[in-house]
Amino acid sequence: MKMNRRTFLKTTGAAAMASALPISLVRMAFGEKSPAKDFSFAYISDAHIQQIEGSKFVRNWDMGLTRAIQEANLLTPRPDFFFFGGDLAQLGKREELDHGLEILSKLRGKIYYVMGEHDYYLDLGKYWESNISPLWYSFDHKGVHFVVLTSILTYDTWTHHTKWTTPMDRMLAMARLDNPEGSPFLVGEKQRAWLKRDLEKVDKSTPIVLCSHSPIQKIYKGWNFWTDDAESVQTLLKPFNKVTVIYGHVHQIQYNQVGNISFHAVMATAWPWPYPKSYVQDPSHLPNLTVPMNRADPFFERDATGWQFINLRTGNVDMHYQLPDNGNRSVVFNRKAGRPQDAKYQGVGSRVPPQTHY
Amino acid sequence: MKDIRKYSGVLLITLMVTAVLAMKFPAQADEFTKEDEARWTKEFMTVVNEGSKLFHSSSLGKNKVSCDQCHPNAANTHPETYPKFQKQIGRVITLFEMVNWCLRNPLEGAPLAADDPKMIALLAYIHYERRGVPLAPGKH
Amino acid sequence: MRTKARVFKQTLWAAVIAATLVTYAAFAAPLGLPPLPVPADNPITPEKVKLGDKLFHDKRFSSTGEVSCANCHDKEKGFTDGLQVSEGINKLKGTRNAPTVINAAYLHTQFWDGREPTLEAQSAGPFINPVEMALPNHEPILKIVRTDPEYLDLFKKAFAKTGNGITMKEVEQAIASFERTLVSGNSPFDRYFYGGDKTAMSPAAVRGLDVFINQGRCVSCHVIEQTQALFTDNRFHMIGSGAKQMPKNLDDLAAAVEDVKKRGTDIAVLSNEKTSSLGRYAVTRDLTDIGAFKTPTLRNIALTAPYLHDGSLKTLEEVIQFYNNGGREKETDPVPELLSGGIRPLNLSKEQEADLVEFLKALTSAEFAQK
Repeated sequence: MKMNRRTFLKTTGAAAMASALPISLVRMAFGEKSPAKDFSFAYISDAHIQQIEGSKFVRNWDMGLTRAIQEANLLTPRPDFFFFGGDLAQLGKREELDHGLEILSKLRGKIYYVMGEHDYYLDLGKYWESNISPLWYSFDHKGVHFVVLTSILTYDTWTHHTKWTTPMDRMLAMARLDNPEGSPFLVGEKQRAWLKRDLEKVDKSTPIVLCSHSPIQKIYKGWNFWTDDAESVQTLLKPFNKVTVIYGHVHQIQYNQVGNISFHAVMATAWPWPYPKSYVQDPSHLPNLTVPMNRADPFFERDATGWQFINLRTGNVDMHYQLPDNGNRSVVFNRKAGRPQDAKYQGVGSRVPPQTHY
Repeated sequence: MKDIRKYSGVLLITLMVTAVLAMKFPAQADEFTKEDEARWTKEFMTVVNEGSKLFHSSSLGKNKVSCDQCHPNAANTHPETYPKFQKQIGRVITLFEMVNWCLRNPLEGAPLAADDPKMIALLAYIHYERRGVPLAPGKH
Repeated sequence: MRTKARVFKQTLWAAVIAATLVTYAAFAAPLGLPPLPVPADNPITPEKVKLGDKLFHDKRFSSTGEVSCANCHDKEKGFTDGLQVSEGINKLKGTRNAPTVINAAYLHTQFWDGREPTLEAQSAGPFINPVEMALPNHEPILKIVRTDPEYLDLFKKAFAKTGNGITMKEVEQAIASFERTLVSGNSPFDRYFYGGDKTAMSPAAVRGLDVFINQGRCVSCHVIEQTQALFTDNRFHMIGSGAKQMPKNLDDLAAAVEDVKKRGTDIAVLSNEKTSSLGRYAVTRDLTDIGAFKTPTLRNIALTAPYLHDGSLKTLEEVIQFYNNGGREKETDPVPELLSGGIRPLNLSKEQEADLVEFLKALTSAEFAQK
């Protein structure tokens, strides 16, 4: 049968390619035929829309989100849906959330939302819950069980402390990444209980994708690259064969494998963050697997920022980072090794030189 | 014999005057006193803390962006590598010129003079957060 | 040592030193430029340069016998043609503005979209492009150079090749060698910045240099470095030029890519405005490169109007305004969504804009300046 675009798209489960390539090239790049269960979705995260005053917003972050959306709209075949990974606003203000949603409205596709701390700590999620999305939920798609958690909660004593004279005080305290008086992220007992009940209905062989904002790992506490009850959440995920955790917040490429769980960080559209190792006064634990990105050039505002699309191949995640100012990177699940692997920039022994200047 | 007595008298008086003066004005030896050191360190940390406040404030530029949004704990500023060739300026510069580049560009604000107290405070904080790292001028 | 012998020895040494200095001077780059990159398999010789010069100006290498490289790369016009987009045989219009050959030897890729890696490779393209010289293939060129007695003599001297030993490789190498002699530095800027002559630029140009480095932010792409300035980073950026022609949706984009694949990049981009506006994307098929064009050098920029890949801006003043507006001709135009992250409104005053233009004029080298 002669392949044309329409017949190709009808074969659902085709993996997405980064650019609008004609069909034949897509087939060449992927080689083998993909089983029906495979599908693609895309992830845009950490937009940090920041109000200067009135209707003036920081142009740099606006451009980051705008570009990601424009590129995502050119993605072909179309991804099944999108995620927004959290931190739509910088200080949780209604104006910022609304401006962000206005930009996001240009995205062609359904969007599932994940809550970030910059969205939460001003009004404790009130506007988000009533206008955007529930804070935790799950759904099934083509045989994969998706779970979304709000993993940026923290201890009630901090959240409701009397030292916050206004909600903005609390928001500013959580917004400052290196705040020595911050408080570690939590999924919390309530959500863990909900997660346990939710997962009880799921078969152990069903692939699970958990979308959260904080890493569900303990990487660097000083910058809240951290989830205090990470182990408890991981324990709930242990019984399942294929689990992937996708998280935002860190504004950099990270990936890891802990037992049966793959971890993937998504890029920010707004700005990159340094790797924790570059703060020498404090130890940190970036997963050894991760090949870090090079230090960004601050002149090029999109350097080390981007978005990503994910191909779910038989239940494991292949993450394809779309980086407007850098060589795109792919972190693909290596079935033999049982963990994610950077397709181009290899491990410590054979690292491509530029990936060492951070 | 008479001369020696005269001179020893002068010598004795000189010694006594010196002893009195030495008590009033302690010997200007090479060691710093512990009190001086503590006081000077405190003065320095005052400026470091002032710098930390500025580094984390949203009023340095005109768009509410603060330095720590890209540089938490002043990470990735690499002060130990200056002076170095700076691509964004096209020549070898010292750190304060790069701070000014950031003030003008990501923060969309105005540059500061090298000896502006605000600049000195920012530099003190940036260097302090990188203490212990060996000098590597020119390193990229 | 006896006087006569000493004098002889001194004279000999003086001669040796003089000879060494002359040789060095012959290879030293002009003030403000780095050493000239020359490929190991094509060293420059006077014979190759003479041959390349003749090939460059030979109108017989076109279907109508009226177009040579020099038509679009005219020495009197800064090695461009002063037109918005170049015209080939029968005044057929292409889609792109002719880049200057001056200092092209320093570029890492050739053409606005970098589709050819070397001067050698670039030189072969225009001969067979339907809107340029429009030859069906390179055979007509080879026929001439293998039979014309003047060419036979020049090829023999340059490459020790004759008859069917003369191939397009030698043609390309000769043209490239000629082009490698078209380098220029020692402009008023160079004398001011690297030569220490503080009177070499006007006060306005000096102020313009400050704008160039600081508020104008030009220096990050139009590179000036500590000891030399190429005024290009050899990278590709989407600055907002051609935003209006760019495909707006998936179908248009797919059609443009099909066109490139079917007819080849060289022919597709010069015959179709929409395809041309894709820029580097047509070569790499990477969304990063969509609408991105190579940073041209600014040396001799005052001689090479009009500007941008499509010649859409006629004067330097218009170019400065375009950048001041953050990659838009008018402040009221929409901001292109796929703009390179380095392009943003600059808030320059009218005086700063004028000073910047004065600075750009100071980048003209005397030997190419218009009389």
